[in-house]
Amino acid sequence: MKSFLLKRLIQIPFILLLISFMSFMVLQLAPGDFFTAMQMNPQISAETIAEMSAKYGFDKPLMVQYILWLKGIVCGDFGQSLSYHVSVVQLIGSRLVSTVILSFCSILFTWVLAFPLGVIIALKANTILDRGLSFFAFLGMSMPSFFFAFLLLLLALHTGWFPIGGTFSSDYFDLSLWGKIIDRGRHLVIPVLVLGLGGMGSLMRVMRTQVLEIVNADFVNAARARGLSEWRVILKHVVRNAINPFVTGIGYLFGALVSGAALVEIVLNLQGLGTLVLTAVQSQDQFVIMGVLLISGCLLLVGVLIADILLTLVDPRITFKKLEG
Amino acid sequence: MKRFFVCLSIFLFVFSGIAIAEEKAKVPNLKIPSAEVLKSVNQELVTATVGDPKTFNPITSSETSSSAIYGYVFEGLIEQDPITLEFEPNLAKRWEVDKSGLIWTFYLRDDVKWNDGQHKFTAKDVLFTLNAIYGVPNGMQDILTIDGKKIEAKIINDFTIQFILPVRFAPFLSVMQWPILPEFVLGESLKNGTFESQWNISTNPKKLIGTGPYKLVEYESTQHAKYERNPHYWKKDEKGNKLPYIEKRTILIVQDANTAFLKFKKGETHFYSPSPEYVAELEDNQDKLKIVVKEIGIGLGVEFLVFNRNPKYYKKEDKKTNPKLLWFEDLNFLKAVNHAIDKESIIVSVLYGMGKIAPAIIAPSNHIFTNKDLKDYKYDPDLAEEILEKAGYIDRDNDGIREDENGSKLEFDLSTNAGNNTREKLCSIIKQDLEDIGIKVNFRPLEFNTLVQKLMDNYEWDAIVIGLTGGSEPHNGANVYKSSGKLHVWNPAQEKPATKWEEELDRLVSQGAQELDLEKRIKIYHHLQEILHENLPFIVLPRSISYTAYNKNIENYFSTVFGTYKLERIFLNK
Repeated sequence: MKSFLLKRLIQIPFILLLISFMSFMVLQLAPGDFFTAMQMNPQISAETIAEMSAKYGFDKPLMVQYILWLKGIVCGDFGQSLSYHVSVVQLIGSRLVSTVILSFCSILFTWVLAFPLGVIIALKANTILDRGLSFFAFLGMSMPSFFFAFLLLLLALHTGWFPIGGTFSSDYFDLSLWGKIIDRGRHLVIPVLVLGLGGMGSLMRVMRTQVLEIVNADFVNAARARGLSEWRVILKHVVRNAINPFVTGIGYLFGALVSGAALVEIVLNLQGLGTLVLTAVQSQDQFVIMGVLLISGCLLLVGVLIADILLTLVDPRITFKKLEG
Repeated sequence: MKRFFVCLSIFLFVFSGIAIAEEKAKVPNLKIPSAEVLKSVNQELVTATVGDPKTFNPITSSETSSSAIYGYVFEGLIEQDPITLEFEPNLAKRWEVDKSGLIWTFYLRDDVKWNDGQHKFTAKDVLFTLNAIYGVPNGMQDILTIDGKKIEAKIINDFTIQFILPVRFAPFLSVMQWPILPEFVLGESLKNGTFESQWNISTNPKKLIGTGPYKLVEYESTQHAKYERNPHYWKKDEKGNKLPYIEKRTILIVQDANTAFLKFKKGETHFYSPSPEYVAELEDNQDKLKIVVKEIGIGLGVEFLVFNRNPKYYKKEDKKTNPKLLWFEDLNFLKAVNHAIDKESIIVSVLYGMGKIAPAIIAPSNHIFTNKDLKDYKYDPDLAEEILEKAGYIDRDNDGIREDENGSKLEFDLSTNAGNNTREKLCSIIKQDLEDIGIKVNFRPLEFNTLVQKLMDNYEWDAIVIGLTGGSEPHNGANVYKSSGKLHVWNPAQEKPATKWEEELDRLVSQGAQELDLEKRIKIYHHLQEILHENLPFIVLPRSISYTAYNKNIENYFSTVFGTYKLERIFLNK
């Protein structure tokens, strides 16, 4: 276990280095840069634009730019946002809490529902219940999330049950602690439904297939033959064996926690990293893009590592030796 | 015959009526709220704005999403009346210019306090702000650079400041609206080089010190900004009541225009600027939603079709001239194209019926400088074909596409920035209309930055539909009109004007910048618009009409495309 951990921990920085280098170069492939749009402003001279772009080192060769950026990262400086004139860390920090709360809630919602539903439709395979739930699963998977968000917004407009978008009300900061929690909760209903239902369908289907594969396996039948109650058979033997793909999935969730969902954020007017990254990409605010990529890459790698460790705990057939390959 | 005269005279009468109405923009009568309304505390006005601010620092900001937030906190020396377009005193009580036109003296108010309630506003702050503008790279710097030289400022006493210009500069007042910043807060940062990151979006909003009607008290990114009345604000109404009447303001920040629309419909916000597709729906429901929908004038932006006339593009590989350059420089070709474009149908299908044909490059809303006498090249495909025939563009091989005299087929690429719905629709209409008269058009939308690179750097394009925003000061378009300008789109950054009329444009631009007499200045810009209209470097497409919608309870709200009239006077009737 120790050698496995050590090996992976040493790998991570190298993978991150590679990720950062590749994304840095890919960013340069896009035509123009942050200052291109300014050229269309009749009141800003070419000299001023050149002066601004030199300030951020854009007049230097690419490799020099990359190394300068890397040097900053090593010292903990992620650079400045070109459009916000704020350090990237501060900018990301300002959106992080809301993003994590939303992602966490919608992931929780998805898993808590998808898991048992998947088992149920597997056990009742090909009945009306299965067909009905599967229909909704496919609907959730195929409906564009922003469109679904829009439909729910219209519902909110006509019924007044939920607020129209936003992460919290404008009087949020005057509320008591409980008021704040309730306010956030009310605003979370629509986004959690949109994001949660979208992800639920596929998870449900995966669970269904997994359970179906195992439910009639010899060892399960053997367990039944030993006279265990069906309830125990399902929980202890079927689910336990069907769970592996989900444990692996946990790793990716870490990355998903901060990745945000730009379209839904825009439609529902949520505070989040998704919109920040989207506008940064659109305006080519280089250091913000690099910063977010690096952070989510890092979380993803750590997540995968944790998932691997969990996998060995959950499934004794998998050992660190096997993981190391 | 008699009937004809009656018709004519009615026509004239109507016409002169319009002319008078447009010339003398009427300043509205402002109401004074009842004692009851004045006493009712906690009046709150809620609006929504699309897009998050990038900074609260007025000098480093260059986008409207930022000024929409900090705009209420700061003020300039003077301000422009959005209705008359005249410059009115603000932090400066009055100003004068000496005979040479170079020395402008501004006399400042001596009763203005910064919103911290302790420091007085003085000439030092004005000088400091000017130094800050020149001190860090930003867009305002270039506006305040005249003939490549800076404006010098000299403090005469605490409340008098002099600006010394390098040359006579007629648009001087229009560039003097920059927001004044407090030296006692930011002075140090300018000296130690941290000015640009001052007052960024993570700054505690209460640290923003200005002289404007409101104080920013809370800001939450992508969600909202909240304001309270500045208790030290200097403006009062005629009866001595404190301004602004409205105690609190909230701006909801949304990222999608549709959300803003829903919020307005639900009654969460008091104002909304509907895009054309929403106007009809709101107008039909005015009573139900308890709102008023009003036209505020023709938009300042202009969309146009422009052809590349840059010889650098055409004469690259072989020495032979590319035939396209010959067509694009041929006035007959340009006129035919203009006559072939069905502008009425553009208004109907692109602008939802809310548009107007106005061929002058300066928007009709700019009632001081726009040239109303220019006649549009009316939609007339038969005339367009006739012009082409006469000029030798004839379909010789009967394939539906005309050829020029040397046998080259009339075919070119038309681009615009992909994703801009309006422009993409404009292009498809233009393509259709031109193909109807035998000119083949290949529509190739491009990513915005690629388009800009083509326009600015490599000049590899045939025809583009693009737009420019406008304002009240015609000199702001100098970069477009001057042959040496980088936005002289059809042939930018020329060393020597390529044509006689471009030489004339250059002369008019520099004359216009120096003429202090308004009447003479207007004539100069009228002439400039005439030249552009005759030589057709741009084919101006119909302009859109802007609307505003607001809650019925709102009083004293008057808006034009240039902004809101005296917003501190707005109040809510119960």
